[in-house]
Amino acid sequence: MKRFSFWHVVVFLAPAFLIYTVFSAYPLLDTLRQGFYTTSDTGHQSWIGIANYTKLLTDPQWSDGFWNAMKNNVKFFLIHMCIQNPIGLLLAALLSLKGVKGAKAYQTVLFLPTLLSVVIIGFIWQLILSPLWGVSESLMTHVGLGEHFAPWLGQEETALITLALISVWQFVGIPMMLIYASLIAIPEEIIEAAVVEGASPWRIFWTIRLPLILPTLGLVTILTFVGNFNAFDLIYSVKGAIAGPNFSTDILGTYFYRTFFGYQSQVGSPTMGAAVATTMFLIILAGVGVYTFLIQRKLQRHSF
Amino acid sequence: MAQVSLKNLKKSYDGKQDVLASINLEIDDGEFVVLVGPSGCGKSTLLRMLSGLEEITSGDLVIDNVRCNDLAPAKRGIAMVFQSYALYPHMNVYKNMAFGLKIHGAGKEEIDRRIKHAAGILKIDHLLHRLPRELSGGQRQRVAIGRAIVREPKLFLFDEPLSNLDAALRVQTRLEIAKLHRDLKATIVYVTHDQVEAMTLGDKIVVMHDGHIQQAGTPLELYQQPANLFVAGFIGSPKMNLIEGVVADAGASGVSVTLAGGQVLRTEVDGSSLKAGDRVTVGIRSEHLWENSNGSEQFTGTVNLVEHLGEANFLYITLSNGQDVVVRGDGEREVAIGDTVSLSAPAASFHVFNHDGKALRRLKPGNMVAAKRVA
Amino acid sequence: MTKNIGKLSATAFTQLVLALFTLISMFPIVLIIINAFKSRDGIFDNPMALPTSETFSLVGFHKVLDKSPFLHFFENSLIVTVGSLVLILLFAAMAAWALSEYKFKGSRWLAVYLAFGIMVPIRLGTVSILQLAVQFNLVNTLTILVLVYVAQGLPLAIMILSEFMQQIPKELKEAARCDGVGEFKIFFQIILPLIRPAVATVAVFTMVPIWNDLWFPLILAPGEETQTVTLGVQQFIGQYVTDWNAVLASLSLAVAPVLLMYIFASRQLIRGITAGAVK
Repeated sequence: MKRFSFWHVVVFLAPAFLIYTVFSAYPLLDTLRQGFYTTSDTGHQSWIGIANYTKLLTDPQWSDGFWNAMKNNVKFFLIHMCIQNPIGLLLAALLSLKGVKGAKAYQTVLFLPTLLSVVIIGFIWQLILSPLWGVSESLMTHVGLGEHFAPWLGQEETALITLALISVWQFVGIPMMLIYASLIAIPEEIIEAAVVEGASPWRIFWTIRLPLILPTLGLVTILTFVGNFNAFDLIYSVKGAIAGPNFSTDILGTYFYRTFFGYQSQVGSPTMGAAVATTMFLIILAGVGVYTFLIQRKLQRHSF
Repeated sequence: MAQVSLKNLKKSYDGKQDVLASINLEIDDGEFVVLVGPSGCGKSTLLRMLSGLEEITSGDLVIDNVRCNDLAPAKRGIAMVFQSYALYPHMNVYKNMAFGLKIHGAGKEEIDRRIKHAAGILKIDHLLHRLPRELSGGQRQRVAIGRAIVREPKLFLFDEPLSNLDAALRVQTRLEIAKLHRDLKATIVYVTHDQVEAMTLGDKIVVMHDGHIQQAGTPLELYQQPANLFVAGFIGSPKMNLIEGVVADAGASGVSVTLAGGQVLRTEVDGSSLKAGDRVTVGIRSEHLWENSNGSEQFTGTVNLVEHLGEANFLYITLSNGQDVVVRGDGEREVAIGDTVSLSAPAASFHVFNHDGKALRRLKPGNMVAAKRVA
Repeated sequence: MTKNIGKLSATAFTQLVLALFTLISMFPIVLIIINAFKSRDGIFDNPMALPTSETFSLVGFHKVLDKSPFLHFFENSLIVTVGSLVLILLFAAMAAWALSEYKFKGSRWLAVYLAFGIMVPIRLGTVSILQLAVQFNLVNTLTILVLVYVAQGLPLAIMILSEFMQQIPKELKEAARCDGVGEFKIFFQIILPLIRPAVATVAVFTMVPIWNDLWFPLILAPGEETQTVTLGVQQFIGQYVTDWNAVLASLSLAVAPVLLMYIFASRQLIRGITAGAVK
């Protein structure tokens, strides 16, 4: 018996399909297409093959900025991987211990910053780190570190790291919650079996719990990767499109923005912008590909 | 192998009401002890206290003359088999079994020897390199037992290990556990809610209810001489028939009880603690109500329902005084609903419980089935 | 005894670490809010102090509300967020139903096509989206924001809702069909009410990024009339960067709605994450 008609399917799917296609899938494909075109001064577009990409990767006028943004973006990602995710893991591990008083309250507060606008967070930290206000400096003086204070956001060597740490501060709740969820999904009896066999809490963590949550750690990694290589708001709100000082905080998102809209003397170019966007797309796709085909296949999900 | 004694063991959470109240129990070397009772009776809590997973509030747990209350689980020389098997999902069978040994610093060859040995006993040699999810329920069960065996513990603890298996596999695994106990001569404490498992496996059965030990004894003791109404109702299937009555006459050599309707029943129990007029409950197992007149005590009743099991049938009968009873009858005899039947039982087959539910000692708790034929 | 001491110190360590991180994540937000209620002198003399009768001042808030159409920003954000949310939930539920219930040629490919948007950020298509907006004459309208956010939110919503729909017992639908209930009626009267908990979770997940977004308002609707809170605050602070009272007050105002929502929805949200995230 055929219990549904062609029209049922069409009516149910059409709205989602149309909006998604027109405003997500088509723009993405069209962006890929425009990457192979160039815009004349009159706004007319013409095919130029991979010239945009060779320019982007090898012509110093473009490539210096691109590779700088790329390098910064990798740094930005590595800081998240080395600080945000281990802290998230630590917090999740502590929260998942049995009988921690106030665990729910801690969770609620630690997760809160992830819900706030990156723009707002950027401004808040800008104020806190501002030498004008002096909050950080006086706090550091209190613990005897007063002379180590510096206007970190303004210095070329420290600006990117500081921004990355602000982002870590904001988003540490996400790995924490994801890892916490997978930790508490491990049946209690498996842990008890290890206890009875004489494994120390430390050993249980490394040999039982951690291997069992590897798939989640993989997921956290890819989410961090996509989020970081697509970041823009924080840098833009704190440092503007120029991503100063001296482009030291420029990442692919801000570079894309400048390429597309132009800045100072440089005129914006939709086609060159499309080429940058396509490159970002390929980087993210590569990351997701590595994740799905290598990591996710290797890491077995355990059904308990 | 171990000798275990539990002295006044208590468990309470946050100083509130006792979950377990003063448990006293002696477990001999090589003994198979089954803790049985309905869910929530405290049997699993008691097992977890033996294992060290649950703290002991007060009392002493002594294993081989060493007080173990504050020893970590691993230092008690125990191994535990969990209800869900609790195999480490990311380790193959071999590594599952090796895990505990490695922690205790056993050498590579030693580990290998023990695993091969245990795998041989359990016939899981061919599964050693599989992951738990690639195994059937029965195979996982064996691996869980294997993981306990390789540790060569003084004491095995089993927490409802058969409850996740289907009926046929449960019977088979039950037999294998019994054989394992015989071969290893191991001391075992085994928790179950299933009275058949308890009766078939245990050297000693400990019936628990509401945090108290109701009775501890051999399967036959529990069957023939249940200490109280709870044990009487818990052991045996179908449940023992219970009939209210009033003592007409009591003495050390027997008690006569007046039932509803005026019939006076003679029972052979030690009634020296009773006096005429006391309220009592008389119990009789369904297999001790005979469909003949060979027993000294006679009844008549009407059949309401018949359940055919093949080798026997259960007759649900209302006696002439209005009391409902179940009779285990000859399976191949034709009985129809509505038939009037006469029943009898020997005076020695009755149990009598005083108004506190405590049983009076039966004087001749002998073999009633044999008596049925001889008579 | 030593065991108890070890346990105690482990508990102390746990509490210490958690409390420390909680403090770190609370501090900046609390600091901004308490200083928003202080006079300029109060802000600079003692930033850590709570407002006292001497330092208490609402001057920042007055300035923000005078100098910028802040309430209008709220209105815009609210229209965009609620509008997008309603459409995402409705369209995603319908699509999820069709994909999980009707097996037709190509349904698998369609599901993969729709799922692609979960991992690939829609931002990368900005060049073409702006061109589309120009073409349709939708630049500087809230409509284009809603359309883009719906396209952005659909993939994840469809995935989560599909998973929920697959858990609905087959018997329920079959019983309804045996009674001759039509497919649309089944969807709206039986399925939608059943997936309500999932819808709530999806709602919170989808709402937050929309409310907070800077990129698309900045590019598609930067006009004064259509600015959302995030963009409005960003522009306002750029303009009044030296007026600390105004800056702090505008930040507090921007944080307030999310804080309020979180106070009411945090339980639901955290339960949603811990229950659904493992998959």
